[in-house]
Amino acid sequence: MTTIETLPSYLDQTPEVAARFARLVERPVALEVKGLTKVFDSSRGAVTALKDLSFSVHKREFTCVIGPSGCGKSTLVRILAGLETATSGEVLVGGKSVSGPGPDRGMVFQGYTLFPWLSVKENVMFGPKVSGTSSVAAEREARQWIDLVGLSKFENAYPYQLSGGMKQRVAIARALANQPQVLFMDEPFGALDAQTRCEMQNYLLEIWKNVDITIVFITHDLDEAVFLSDRILVLDANPGRFREMVEVPVSRPRSNDQVFEPLFGATRKHIEHLIHPPGREQKEAPVMRIAKPDPDVI
Amino acid sequence: MSRPRIFSDWFRIRKDLSPGRKSLLTVFSFCLPAALWCIVSYVPFIWHPDVKITVAASREGSSTVLTAGDHLPKDYFPKYVNDVREENASEREGSKRKNQKLLRQISPLVIEAGWLDERDAQNDKEIYLFWRDIATGKRELPALNDENMEIVRKNWEILASSSPVFEYKSLPEEPLLKLVPQGKPANPSYLPAPDEVIETGWSLFTRPPRNDGATMGERYRSSLGIIFRGFLWACLIGVPIGILCGTYSFFSTLLEPFTDFFRYMPAPTFSTLLVAVLAAGDSPKIALVLIGTLPHMILMISKTTRLLDPALLEAAQTLGAKPRQMIGSVVLPGIAPNLYNDLRILLGWAWTWLVIAELIGVKSGLTEVIETQGRFRNFDQVFPVIILIGITGFVTDQILAWFHGVLFPWAGTSGRISRAVASFVTWPIRTVASAANERIMQDELAREARRKLRPSTESP
Repeated sequence: MTTIETLPSYLDQTPEVAARFARLVERPVALEVKGLTKVFDSSRGAVTALKDLSFSVHKREFTCVIGPSGCGKSTLVRILAGLETATSGEVLVGGKSVSGPGPDRGMVFQGYTLFPWLSVKENVMFGPKVSGTSSVAAEREARQWIDLVGLSKFENAYPYQLSGGMKQRVAIARALANQPQVLFMDEPFGALDAQTRCEMQNYLLEIWKNVDITIVFITHDLDEAVFLSDRILVLDANPGRFREMVEVPVSRPRSNDQVFEPLFGATRKHIEHLIHPPGREQKEAPVMRIAKPDPDVI
Repeated sequence: MSRPRIFSDWFRIRKDLSPGRKSLLTVFSFCLPAALWCIVSYVPFIWHPDVKITVAASREGSSTVLTAGDHLPKDYFPKYVNDVREENASEREGSKRKNQKLLRQISPLVIEAGWLDERDAQNDKEIYLFWRDIATGKRELPALNDENMEIVRKNWEILASSSPVFEYKSLPEEPLLKLVPQGKPANPSYLPAPDEVIETGWSLFTRPPRNDGATMGERYRSSLGIIFRGFLWACLIGVPIGILCGTYSFFSTLLEPFTDFFRYMPAPTFSTLLVAVLAAGDSPKIALVLIGTLPHMILMISKTTRLLDPALLEAAQTLGAKPRQMIGSVVLPGIAPNLYNDLRILLGWAWTWLVIAELIGVKSGLTEVIETQGRFRNFDQVFPVIILIGITGFVTDQILAWFHGVLFPWAGTSGRISRAVASFVTWPIRTVASAANERIMQDELAREARRKLRPSTESP
């Protein structure tokens, strides 16, 4: 049995995995972030959310961004999607500098953000239609994407009739219908219960496998990050800075059982220590004792 | 399973009652005020501070002329009766003229009994014969008390001795006895009983108007016309401005501060100005409804627009929507259900402005009835009109509320019936659209197939 002490190092990549990473690095860069800095001017003075952040993501790579709260994960993804402007620095998608939102970058939000007045099909058709596709073509495309996320039976349902997981699947289909180069996902499964979340993670990997897409996935859930990613971008908080780009040594295709693999545990532990350095927990305030000491409750 | 008991579970904090109990209480919410009104009106000892005169008599030396139907305070009525009795007992001078007037005392009772038409209230020949009939017992008038029956008989003795039919010349000179005032307990005239209100209300709407005025139906239509035209104009101006204010900071900063200021200047203060500018007729009235509604409409709609979840706009942006597309395909459909509800509330307010609008310039519509009849204290005519306005507003609002479900099935608030109506109404459109879609799609597939075929056939 493997215990925490005997965990291998997360750097112990099998030759297969190492070869895969070598090939990934050869791929063209889909997203490049150069010296990104974001300063918010608040009434109490300027707050630096992101400081001089640089990294790049290769084509068809699955990257998670993780970090302690306040590390600017959401700010980062909003800048990448073009919903906010950076104070300085540059974002390149497919080699082209971007400013402002555009259909080349899809976004899936935590709060679903489906248009409640549109049916599932019409929601998915939204992107193609605003970019000028005829409704017939848009509808045909939409059907394919709805098929892909397994909601064909619900194509005429309104969002209020769907469960959280179904809504998020529609949101993914809607973002994919524009055929973006990069898909940003901002804690998309954060509002779902544990079982649905697990299901959705498998779904997402399946979609990623079948669709030509590069995914940047924001999360605060360590297991989710390790389970999904090729590489994990770990950020420091206050201000948000680059900490480490961790290569996940867990082999693909992923399955739920891999959570119990030593390399999975090792990677998880490494990232956890990056986010919450060991030794800091002891600094927590002592808790008032109200119950009598109980030897079985320790 | 035990059956639910009737008396338990009526009061549970923040818990819904069963549908049956809810409908019962809804009915009660209308029945309770009506029942209260009935109790106050029909149970004599509840209130009734007045006496409603059924038999009136004039008094010598008193300038107050009381007629049947007038109200007197309860404690003053006995003095009134005594005054007349004393007058009857005293030595006094008589005249033909006085006696003629005295004979007419009986006419309200005879009209009430249905023997005489209201227009013949001063037809002395007829009245004379009624005195005869009552005195001789040919007709019975239970409304007269014994004291007055005695007086009728005594008077008739005198009258019969001079002439069997009415002739002014042969009226006796000696003073006849006055009928002693009679009355019944009544509430003040401003609280007519339900049956009076219903009866008057019915006759208001069925009978042709007294003097060449408009019928109630015409008045009702004119009132509705003013309110809907005023409201429509307000919508045409207010909805676009409100949406612009809620969408663009530019418009909100440019227009909202003044609107906010204008809102505090009461619309009725502009009434004389509006009449001066737009002259008499309906226009100043429509304008008053408009300026009363518009500022609130702009501010309400801009607020509703601002309440739209900004995440939806961001989502649309990431999907490639241009700013102009976002208004048409996100802002408008997104706020539509709340906008609709805003307009419902504002239409309710417009009724308030209507009442004021109808009083400016040349009075018109339903409010004119309220105004003029109220001045004459004919509250039995005022209440039906007030209730009519209330019913109209309430019913309109209920219908519009129900249509909310038909128009916005996606809001998830529609009932089963409104969903069915919605799908029924949109059925032809959907059928045609889907058939057309199918057709176009087939064409396109065929074209694609041809395109694919061509290179293979051309290149050997």
